[in-house]
Amino acid sequence: MTPHPRDDIGVMVAGQGGDGSLTLASLLGDVMGARGYELYQARNVASRVKGGHAAAYLRASLARRGGLGDRFDLLIAFDAEAIEQGSPRLDDHGYVVYDASEGPVARDRLPAGATVLEVPFGRLAVRDLRRDLYKNSLAFGVAARLFSVSDADAEAALRHSLRRLAGPLVDANVRALERGFGYADGHGLATGAGPWALASAERGDRILISGNEAVAFGFLAAGGRFFAGYPITPASEILEWLSARLPEFGGVAVQAEDELAAINMALGAAMTGTRAMTASSGPGIALMQETVSHLGSAEVGVVVVDCQRSGPSTGMPTKPEQSDLGMLVWGSSGDFPRVVLAPGDPADAFELGALATDLAERFQGPVLIALDQMVSQDLATVERLDPGSVEIDRGALLREAELATLGEYRRYRVEDDGISRWAPAGTWGGQSLVTGNERDEWGRVSTQPANRIRMVDKRARKLETILPDLPRAREAGDPEADVALLGFGMQTGVTREAAERLAAAGRPVRVFQPRTLWPVLEDVRELARACRRVYVVEHNASAQYAHVLAGAGLPNERLESVLRYDGQPFRPGELAAHVLEREAA
Amino acid sequence: MKTEPRTYEPTVPIWCAGCGHFGVLSALQKALRDLGIPQHEVLVLAGIGCSGTIQNYLGTYGYHALHGRVLPAATGVALANPELTVIGAGGDGDGYAIGMGHLVHAFRRNTPFTYVLMNNETYGLTKGQRSPSRRADGRSVREGSVDGPLLGLSIPATTFVARGYSGWYEQLAQLTVAALEHARGGHGFAFLEVISPCVTYQDTYPEWEQVLHDVDRDPGYDPADRGAALALAASLVAEGRLAAGLLFRAEAVAPPEAPVPARVPIADAGLVARYEALLDRYAVGARPEPSRPRAAPVE
Repeated sequence: MTPHPRDDIGVMVAGQGGDGSLTLASLLGDVMGARGYELYQARNVASRVKGGHAAAYLRASLARRGGLGDRFDLLIAFDAEAIEQGSPRLDDHGYVVYDASEGPVARDRLPAGATVLEVPFGRLAVRDLRRDLYKNSLAFGVAARLFSVSDADAEAALRHSLRRLAGPLVDANVRALERGFGYADGHGLATGAGPWALASAERGDRILISGNEAVAFGFLAAGGRFFAGYPITPASEILEWLSARLPEFGGVAVQAEDELAAINMALGAAMTGTRAMTASSGPGIALMQETVSHLGSAEVGVVVVDCQRSGPSTGMPTKPEQSDLGMLVWGSSGDFPRVVLAPGDPADAFELGALATDLAERFQGPVLIALDQMVSQDLATVERLDPGSVEIDRGALLREAELATLGEYRRYRVEDDGISRWAPAGTWGGQSLVTGNERDEWGRVSTQPANRIRMVDKRARKLETILPDLPRAREAGDPEADVALLGFGMQTGVTREAAERLAAAGRPVRVFQPRTLWPVLEDVRELARACRRVYVVEHNASAQYAHVLAGAGLPNERLESVLRYDGQPFRPGELAAHVLEREAA
Repeated sequence: MKTEPRTYEPTVPIWCAGCGHFGVLSALQKALRDLGIPQHEVLVLAGIGCSGTIQNYLGTYGYHALHGRVLPAATGVALANPELTVIGAGGDGDGYAIGMGHLVHAFRRNTPFTYVLMNNETYGLTKGQRSPSRRADGRSVREGSVDGPLLGLSIPATTFVARGYSGWYEQLAQLTVAALEHARGGHGFAFLEVISPCVTYQDTYPEWEQVLHDVDRDPGYDPADRGAALALAASLVAEGRLAAGLLFRAEAVAPPEAPVPARVPIADAGLVARYEALLDRYAVGARPEPSRPRAAPVE
């Protein structure tokens, strides 16, 4: 067989939880990443402690994609359910590696052109190695042969991934790998002669990371030193990561008793001049709403991360959605300034996580970060994060030396830019009253009408003051096109890829990824002026972002919503086909 | 010598003449003075209700929390800057109703700060609704009541529980000092409930001399004996009475070393090196290392 070089590869590995699907997909990712492929890894797990069906997806491509493609080439199925779930997206000429321990594969479910390798992984692992546990290493041997990876490279990758395990365990896994090679030999898959070949590309320093971890890295780089959270899918990684890491950096992370406590702990820390953050998902963010408004009123800067999942209520905890947007933009009581940022990939999550941390303290109010389950939990390759790129500005923070020269200090002094100077609790000379009630410049409660207007307007001016610092949209596609694809967060990769398909089909589009969702910036207004049609691609049933845009005065007749709320991401081919069909009409 | 800037003038209390909260305010002022704590090193966090205005009367840093959220906010302050004297204050509605969930965890977590709960068994600010600490009378009040000190004593991690009465000023001042010393010494969460009657909606002044059992007047009482404290408080509640005084103070142990996040330099070179090492773990395409058995842990 002459290996066919591949620049875009899709793999699905699925089985029961505990079969090692995630490990196997990561191993293949290690091999392909080392060859210079850009990686995107996702998983699909049931919301339960253990077991249930688990699927891992790997996309390896020479171009950075930031999402899964339309199809996969290889389906590694540890059970019949994996065949059922994976077959609809298997390429017509794809390969299926199936654990035949339980019986023959359901061929009628698979494309006619697909090649099936039935390997009794479970039986071989139990018979030869006495442990069912090793079957993913065995399957890795077969998969490595399919991609014409040399046996030595495959073994090195396996050993590297198991480097923290004890020697005898590693050796047992290597023996399983060799069983996999042996099986491939017996089925005409000689070493270096599989159906596919991997390319080799030179890359700079890259990392493979999730958005949740990246946002935590950004927080840390911007001086974030206090975190409080309550466990919830898909935000728990932020709590876990910061609980492990913050103490190494002189910080504190607390697992609070609930989300009400979490956000109020962060508020308390922020009053001492400690940069603070909390994170949750829709149901928890809903509980935090009262304090979001309080942060706006009392003028205390805290970063609030919402790793959105499918709602309403407890909804579908492990599935992505973008249906908290209305709550993030409009939620809670009263009028107060807030910022809502939306990163589209882990590099963006780092950058906006750091910016939000800085901004919250400078602007003295809530800065919300809208992630979604995909950006939060999927892994993607990005350039190595650079803490040196993070700018730290303590803004209007007062220290003792400045207070000594002031003569007078009013916590809520009305300034032209709306931003009052403030002294963290404990600072000599800065004694002040902080309250969510309306108050005068000294912090004393007041319902006096003229004061009220001055204070509401002062707080509102803060948003105008920081407008120049808010992150602008990222664009791709054809800047001259009169039709645009607009999508934030999880839509970032798929809209870009769909645009490439559309350009190839003779229908170039502009791609626009807003990164500041609130306030609505001039960049998106300009987009709506320049394009006769803007497809607003979002994961919710009620076109929440389109409503935010229309509410901000964008021409409704130019906004066309493309919605999805089945818990599954858009695929580039589907999005491109939708636009082509609509534009042809 | 540097001159302090002029800051806010403490305001005049909104409380009715005869309100128990005056006693609490006075005891707090005296304790801060006696302990010689500079005003800028104190943050008083108060809840919602009549008691939730006490921070306005002291001249220290003051914060007016959301209803029921004094304890988490104070926990955040105390963890972020343990050098501060952190005092939570609020009423029985704030602490025993809407914020009750946090009280259990404040005991359990034992973060060093003081919490003064002014218990008047009513919602004064909203004109006299019943609070969860209102004792049942078998007629109009049929729901049972909460005894905060008894609750605290039942949690093994609790280190300080006291109950004062604004009618017994000298003892209240002493208990306030003891609570502040416990928290400032880093020993943990100091809970001081003060029976602080509402003269307008729930004037119980005539009852308390009979209802309260003052352990400080009992020379045989040992406040280091948690079991005895719990048993006494429980048996008094069964008789319709309440325990008062320094009910429990755990034997002082050296407090654990606490970081001071508020004082960490943000861009310290050592932290940057640690950060880069952390990023290394995410590197893609690193050359696979030959496998080695896991090294024995270094002693």
